[in-house]
Amino acid sequence: MSGSKPDILWSPHHPDRYVICDSELGLYRIGPVGNSETKAGTLPLSEETAATLLAINSDTPYMKCVAWYPKHEPECLLAVGQANGRVVLTSLGQSHNSTCKELVGKEFVPKHARQCNTLAWNPVDSNLLAAGLDKHRADFSVLIWDISSKYSPEASVSSEKIRLSSVDLDSSSVVTKPLYELGQNDACLSLCWLLRDPKLLLAGMHRNLAIFDLRNTSQKTFVNTKAIQGVTVDPHFHDRVASFYEGQVAIWDLRKFEKPVLTLSEQPKPLIKVAWCPTRNGLLATLTRDSNIIRLYDMQHTPTPIGDETEPTIIERSVQPYESQIGSFAWHPSSQNRMVVVSAANRVMTDFTVFERISLAWSSTTSLMWACGRHLYDCVEDGAEGVDSVIEKDIATKMRQRAQSRYGHDTVQVWKNHLLAGGSDPQLKSLWYDLFYMKQCAEDIELKLQGNKQSVVYSGIKNIVKTTSGTTESRRCWSGSERQSDVPRYHSEERCLSLRLCGWISRGPDIDVEVFLRSLEQEREWERASAVALFNLDIRRAIQILNKGATAEKGDLNLNVVAMALSGYTDEKSSLWREMCSSLRLQLKNPYLCVMFAFLTSEPGAYDGVLYESSVAVRDRVAFACMFLSDAQLPRYIDKLTNEMKEAGNLEGILLTGLTKDGVDLMESYVDLTGDVQTASFSMLKGSPGEVLKDPRVQCWIENYRNLLDAWRFWHKRAEFDIHRGKLDPSSKPLAQVFVSCNFCGKSISYSCSVMPHQGRGFSQYGVSGSPTKSKVTSCPGCRKPLPRCALCLMNMGTPVSNCPGTGKSDERLDLTRENKLAQFNNWFTWCHNCRHGGHAGHMLSWFKEHTECPVSGCTCKCMQLDTTGNLVPSDSS
Amino acid sequence: MFVARSIAADHKDLIHDVSYDFHGRRMATCSSDQSVKVWDKSENGEWHCTASWKTHSGSVWRVTWAHPEFGQVLASCSFDRTAAVWEEIVGESNDKQRGLSHWIKRTTLVDSRTSVTDVKFAPKHMGLMLTTCSADGVVRIYEAPDVMNLSQWSLQHEISCKLSCSCISWNPSSSRAHPPMFAVGSDDSNVNYGGKVQIYEYNENTRKYAKAETLMSVADAVHDIAFAPNLGRSFHVLAIATKDVRIFKLVPMRKESTSTGPTKLEVQIVAQFDNHNSQVWRVSWNITSTLLASSGDDGCVRLWKANYMDNWKCTGILKGDGSPLTGSSGQPTAMSTVVGSSVQTSQNTQNGMSAGRYFLPPLDPPRAGTRYGHLLPPSSLIEHCDAEPIQPQQQALPHRISSRPLLPLPEAEGQ
Repeated sequence: MSGSKPDILWSPHHPDRYVICDSELGLYRIGPVGNSETKAGTLPLSEETAATLLAINSDTPYMKCVAWYPKHEPECLLAVGQANGRVVLTSLGQSHNSTCKELVGKEFVPKHARQCNTLAWNPVDSNLLAAGLDKHRADFSVLIWDISSKYSPEASVSSEKIRLSSVDLDSSSVVTKPLYELGQNDACLSLCWLLRDPKLLLAGMHRNLAIFDLRNTSQKTFVNTKAIQGVTVDPHFHDRVASFYEGQVAIWDLRKFEKPVLTLSEQPKPLIKVAWCPTRNGLLATLTRDSNIIRLYDMQHTPTPIGDETEPTIIERSVQPYESQIGSFAWHPSSQNRMVVVSAANRVMTDFTVFERISLAWSSTTSLMWACGRHLYDCVEDGAEGVDSVIEKDIATKMRQRAQSRYGHDTVQVWKNHLLAGGSDPQLKSLWYDLFYMKQCAEDIELKLQGNKQSVVYSGIKNIVKTTSGTTESRRCWSGSERQSDVPRYHSEERCLSLRLCGWISRGPDIDVEVFLRSLEQEREWERASAVALFNLDIRRAIQILNKGATAEKGDLNLNVVAMALSGYTDEKSSLWREMCSSLRLQLKNPYLCVMFAFLTSEPGAYDGVLYESSVAVRDRVAFACMFLSDAQLPRYIDKLTNEMKEAGNLEGILLTGLTKDGVDLMESYVDLTGDVQTASFSMLKGSPGEVLKDPRVQCWIENYRNLLDAWRFWHKRAEFDIHRGKLDPSSKPLAQVFVSCNFCGKSISYSCSVMPHQGRGFSQYGVSGSPTKSKVTSCPGCRKPLPRCALCLMNMGTPVSNCPGTGKSDERLDLTRENKLAQFNNWFTWCHNCRHGGHAGHMLSWFKEHTECPVSGCTCKCMQLDTTGNLVPSDSS
Repeated sequence: MFVARSIAADHKDLIHDVSYDFHGRRMATCSSDQSVKVWDKSENGEWHCTASWKTHSGSVWRVTWAHPEFGQVLASCSFDRTAAVWEEIVGESNDKQRGLSHWIKRTTLVDSRTSVTDVKFAPKHMGLMLTTCSADGVVRIYEAPDVMNLSQWSLQHEISCKLSCSCISWNPSSSRAHPPMFAVGSDDSNVNYGGKVQIYEYNENTRKYAKAETLMSVADAVHDIAFAPNLGRSFHVLAIATKDVRIFKLVPMRKESTSTGPTKLEVQIVAQFDNHNSQVWRVSWNITSTLLASSGDDGCVRLWKANYMDNWKCTGILKGDGSPLTGSSGQPTAMSTVVGSSVQTSQNTQNGMSAGRYFLPPLDPPRAGTRYGHLLPPSSLIEHCDAEPIQPQQQALPHRISSRPLLPLPEAEGQ
């Protein structure tokens, strides 16, 4: 332990104290940061802990090794081995009690001066202190001192010899006669007492490891090896010992001491410290010179002495307490996996805990469980709204919430689905409005043309404009301006339909956007409304809208300025207005204001400034294109836009693709990006043509969505989804899984049971009511033989399974409240698939609430427990 | 915002694996103490251990659930060179009332000559199939021909991977367009042995699994591997825990109907993060494969999330001992970390000391500005995203912040 190479020792009994020894001994106390922050001289060790220097001892120069007395009393007693081979007992800043006083200052002096390499207190007989020394001719190199022994006869002689010591010693405190002398003619580099028998001492000698037995010092067990440095016993497995040589660690099993049971992968630099973790099985920490990492070896398996050829699993890990080089480290004796590390220079200390390898798993409901060491941690996404609204929720959470709010199920007011989805996603809003307009048009056209054009509506604008014919061109005046405009506008039936799909106009042959403008005004989308008005060549209306927007509550007064600029419109090619508008429009933040001026300043037919302004909604750009692009330009533009949308997976593009293969392609990109199979499934189920449903990709989304609902235990939602799906895709309807047939005639009992039983059948089962239908209800409709009896009430079963509420006569229907529906379910047949006993569903359920075994006497079937999933409660409400 | 809560696990040694069932209502843990524990979530959200039994004569590495369609079935694998299949049965006494369940061993799979390092059930649509991989580099695929009789398992395939296997993952895609596929990772630390992740695909014609791809760029030991839930996507995503977290995208090339060989995969690396500083031990996907969790030698659990443009970033860091964490906002506005009392008492010092070197990296500011406005098409998003720091810069973020404003320790600490 030269001055530059520090070492750390934890106090064996004070969990908050440790000693750093380099050129002097420094005792530190570790504590939480908060408590010691006020005091001067504390050193932060980590975020939470700091160390306070309690005492410094520089009485013992030439320190080579230090060992802390293992017993509780006297506390803070240290043995220091010096370069001249002497061992001095010293203490640090403790009020000396009598025992301690006697011991402190005691010196143990070998016959010949040489370096003391190592010290080891006997863990049981704590009077015994073993010291390992360098070789001196034929002298012994392992000396075991008894610290309680009084001075030896030769004390005065030896005190002569040791005058070189700076400390003036009381001769009574010098001991020169060791209790045992071992390891003749050898050097000792490391020592440790074996925990399995405190009479055994393991020594790393020159070129061999030796076990000395104090009961018979003449004999030793030894094995020749180079790995003789830093011998240390595993505190959890007393037969396991680690030692090292250069960069290699050898692990020994004392039961088969002939060779190392394993050697760990060699490090490029020589090792300086190897230590078993005292709080954890089989964890060995190693440190090499000039390194900033501590390498850990996790030995999961106790090697067995019998010829087991399987290599124990060793997991190699490394931890980096800080950037600088590590001088030494020490495990905390009791805190789990904790260590203090001191840097090679400047005595920078760090306190940290080695974490175990953490295993983790996500549940289907987005909660994360992880295991660290022996502990489990459950981590759930906190549903706190508001605070975290900035953070976008994960799609899994979103889909769950949307499923619960019945997203996708509104088949009449289709656009409302976007509100069910939360109303915050512009893409979903666009998608559901598209589907709404498609549905509206489809229904409308259906009325007019008896359905032969219905598929056209769902095939998207891309296909609609492809077939455009009979386009007429018209030039209209700017209303509010006297000039004859030279802006050509195109009309055709297909273009009109496209505008309807864009939502600009409602039914009728005239293009009247006034309704649309009013709704935009209501939504306070002033800029957009103004742009739409302008595109309809109504500059006055556009200005009026902007004025309204400026004066509205929280309106933007700048809109007035825009209106002013707009009113100066002139179609003169070289006017200043034109020049300024085309250059300054790019500085407008709002894309709609921007495209307004782009429109006014562009040449007819060259509207790139409008068409490729990506911040403007697709529907507005498409509507614009339908109005102002010629038959040659329009399909080209639409195709280009469609491909762009498909690539980006932008749901606004559904307007163009419709529910066609193109639409599936687009949706595929969307699903690839978001994983939102819910939206994909529902939107594909909205169109009436069944073609897209046959696409394997669509089927795959639907299956995945159903699987999600199952995983979330949203079984009611899954069932609703299946019903919804079955309406559009009859092939997906599941086959009946159960038939109830008569035991006698074998006919299905629901078959031919066309007459809805009387309302009072609840009583009729018990024979109270004199209902004329009684015989029919409790017997097979085919052969009139009685149906099986309920195991509980012993009455014949009475309600055919096919009867469901709502199919009855209309007068009865009114009486069917929710309770009645439930009561009906109580009458259903139910039986155990295992023991085949059963009865009325209501009776069975109430029986199994209190019992586990079947109600039939002698039957030990635990019917309800057989189905574990049945015990799971659905997490959604119907 | 994630909130961690400790559960008294009561395992006598390290827990090696945690596994949820299909519904997330049951959980299994396995440990070096040679036991498996089954946990059930009560209605109030508490976890109760309902079964704990000795399963193997060595450390149990992994435990996994079969789809509930096949009943309540678990599989475990161990250092003792075996894998085992367990089924819950209805107990003789009223165990259910006492909140206990009973599990019996249906079979022991003893084909491996070395430690069985991972066990996984194949996706449900393939039937009841179980895969193991072992330290001797062999992947074994077993099938239960009769799902009602779990004691009969036949070894269907034995695939030699040449390298010691540490982990295996099935591609969960149920699409008919994707043939059965699994990835196997090796923890062999010799970087000269080439790629440590191999992908195998079932060939309908030969009825055998053939190697479709080796990820040569993964040369270091792989500790965990996880295919993301496919969810109808046209490609597969694979997360790998090696010396860093890596996310790969495997895009199946459109196959001509005539070709019989394995599907050509276009392999793209999507993200690579060395924020754990050292070895990464586990990776796990959430159900929509939009969130990835990883754990590493820095003692932290990190959450990763991709934005619209497939840029992955860290959205949360949780310390392994459940101590404070940030939400993805990086603003500890509602820091409500609950550290369970059981840990508080027993591990007080540890909890108090553990934060020595784990800091919260500065997270990106909340992307309030990039939340696209009304009916703005996402092409505007592209511009926003480009303006943000790209990934390499992110990785270079300092791991250390000396000031502590990000980490106000709750009062519970140190009590």
